[in-house]
Amino acid sequence: MNKDIFLIGSGQTRFGEWWEKSLRDLAGEAVEAALKDAPCTSLDIDMVIVANMIAERTNGQAHLGALVSSLFPHNPPALRVESACASGAVALHTACGLLESGRAQTIVVVGVEKMTDVSTEEVADALMGAADSEKDAPCGLTFPGIFGLIAKRYMHEYHLTRERLNHVSSAHHRNALHNPFAQFRKEIPAEHISQSPAVADPLCMLDCSPVSDGAAACILSTVKESDIKIAASQLASDAVSLTERATITSFPATKRAMEKALAEADIDRKSVSHLEIHDCFSIAAVINVEDLGFAEPGKGVELYEQADPVPSINASGGLKACGHPVAATGIKQVTDMAKQLRTSGSRFGLTQNFGGACASCGIHILEHTHV
Amino acid sequence: MSNPSVVHRAKSARKQKMQEGTIVSFTTVRHPPAGFGTNPLRIGLIALEDGSQAMGQLIAPAHEDIQIGSKVRPRMKLLRVQKNGLRIYDTAYELCAAKPVVQEQKVEREFPGYIVALYGPSGVGKSTVCTLMTKVLVEYVENVPILTTRAKKKGDADEYHYTTAAEFTRLRKDKKIIAATQIPSRSEKRWYGYREEDIQAIWNKGKIPIVITEQHLLQNLSSYYGRRSILSFGLLPPGKSRRAMLSQLLHRLRSRGRDTEKHIQDRMKNAEHDLDFFEKRKELFDHILVNEDLDAVMETLKGHVLGVERT
Repeated sequence: MNKDIFLIGSGQTRFGEWWEKSLRDLAGEAVEAALKDAPCTSLDIDMVIVANMIAERTNGQAHLGALVSSLFPHNPPALRVESACASGAVALHTACGLLESGRAQTIVVVGVEKMTDVSTEEVADALMGAADSEKDAPCGLTFPGIFGLIAKRYMHEYHLTRERLNHVSSAHHRNALHNPFAQFRKEIPAEHISQSPAVADPLCMLDCSPVSDGAAACILSTVKESDIKIAASQLASDAVSLTERATITSFPATKRAMEKALAEADIDRKSVSHLEIHDCFSIAAVINVEDLGFAEPGKGVELYEQADPVPSINASGGLKACGHPVAATGIKQVTDMAKQLRTSGSRFGLTQNFGGACASCGIHILEHTHV
Repeated sequence: MSNPSVVHRAKSARKQKMQEGTIVSFTTVRHPPAGFGTNPLRIGLIALEDGSQAMGQLIAPAHEDIQIGSKVRPRMKLLRVQKNGLRIYDTAYELCAAKPVVQEQKVEREFPGYIVALYGPSGVGKSTVCTLMTKVLVEYVENVPILTTRAKKKGDADEYHYTTAAEFTRLRKDKKIIAATQIPSRSEKRWYGYREEDIQAIWNKGKIPIVITEQHLLQNLSSYYGRRSILSFGLLPPGKSRRAMLSQLLHRLRSRGRDTEKHIQDRMKNAEHDLDFFEKRKELFDHILVNEDLDAVMETLKGHVLGVERT
């Protein structure tokens, strides 16, 4: 990073089904929580960045920058960022760039999504916008279908059994028991995962992250300080369509972003104590820990079979149990990571947020300086 | 997706999709998107004969009948009828046999090691880069000799091993040569190839073999050793347009003075195909570099190669 950027405040709404709350209400609640957590007032915010993927489809609402800016008394300048499910990480990255350039000094980054106002079919169709509309979608493929293809191939190449894959969602649910902001706080035994209804073979309902409403906000500053610094912020991209990939059992964008992030933070991956990874589907979590370099190809699931893996993985409950209001996820991961670093007293934590089938990937490394 | 213009443009891709292929992976979507009815959809990712991939519905009696590696053939299928009456057809893929073909018990090859492959049109500087690499990283990489049937030429470095056409064919038949290609030329038929033993010998020394490739060599190596083994670099000549790139190549070929004008014309024709290949087979390339500043290219290459050396 060219400048010290501090995470001076963060907060979120609980993720879930919020019938009585609008897109604006959710964003407002997250901003309020972040401001309460920060040593600054709303007037110190000199830029608003909103991450959102599908508000046009689910809420008939575009122009989200101005919408969220209007929650502030002084209407700071605002912009909106979209990169499918990686919108949150891309918004944070955008904020880092503006802060490093000196164009802004204190930015609030808000990720918000309100997905339960429309039918599941409509949401699924909107989310399919993250895939290639001419190469992937025409045959009737859905996102669970895309990850069904990935899971099937992965199981074929690495002989991963359905039983072993069950541990992923089960672990995420167990972790969420202690997270008051999680959508689901219920333990689910591993064997129940594959007994849930099939969604896209070999994936079942409990392999999939849910449809959720929610918002999360982070306040980043170069002038106000805190004990949490952004040590790295990196993005990488890949072909949007699965048909243009050399392999579908590994995501090169994660590898590239990871390499760049470790170089930027100037640390070894062994220094990372906590991970929050993008487990939109159970199989994605397995592939992610491999691509991040914490497991050999084909062995990612072993980390989920351990009671206390090092580094810790999705201690918050991940997308599976916390909920996945798509654009809020990348920001919520950072919010959770700050909490985890402060609780454990460890120095480095890493968040990985991806869009589509990892056609865009954002990695942030947080450094706790009061260790 | 229901937008008629998207549907219309998708039609142009249909010809491409009308090929036989094999199933890379498949799934059954239990909740099809709007307009596709309520029956589960079987969908496969298909590796087509020309090496590209396509997504399509699978025509099979049951999910259990489908297997990764099964052969499929294309068939037009009415996918759905839109509310406005638009009937949408697309390529679907039908299992070639009612029962899945007995899958060759092809055990996934163990990862044998990395091979650095350079690819690019004639004149872009593959040999120069390759020679420099083997000098700069002499402890890490070694050039794999190219076996060729063409006659020795003035200006040839020691990168070639010469052989006869008969011998070449025999070695290929015996699977001693694992990647081969015939470069079309007006004057003669010329074969080029790589021998497995040469590559293995370099691995045995604990070094990374480096090869100069074109389309067939790159594809052969990739399918023999597995795509993961190939660390491929595509080299492009500088230039904003294809025409600018080609004239840059022409200039380089003429100024190096190794070929006759006739050969240069042949090479230019091949160069056009090589440039197409970048577009068509993106997935075969790990990195694409523009060879404008040789030092910069070398630095980048060094970084990537030492990167895998460390792993």
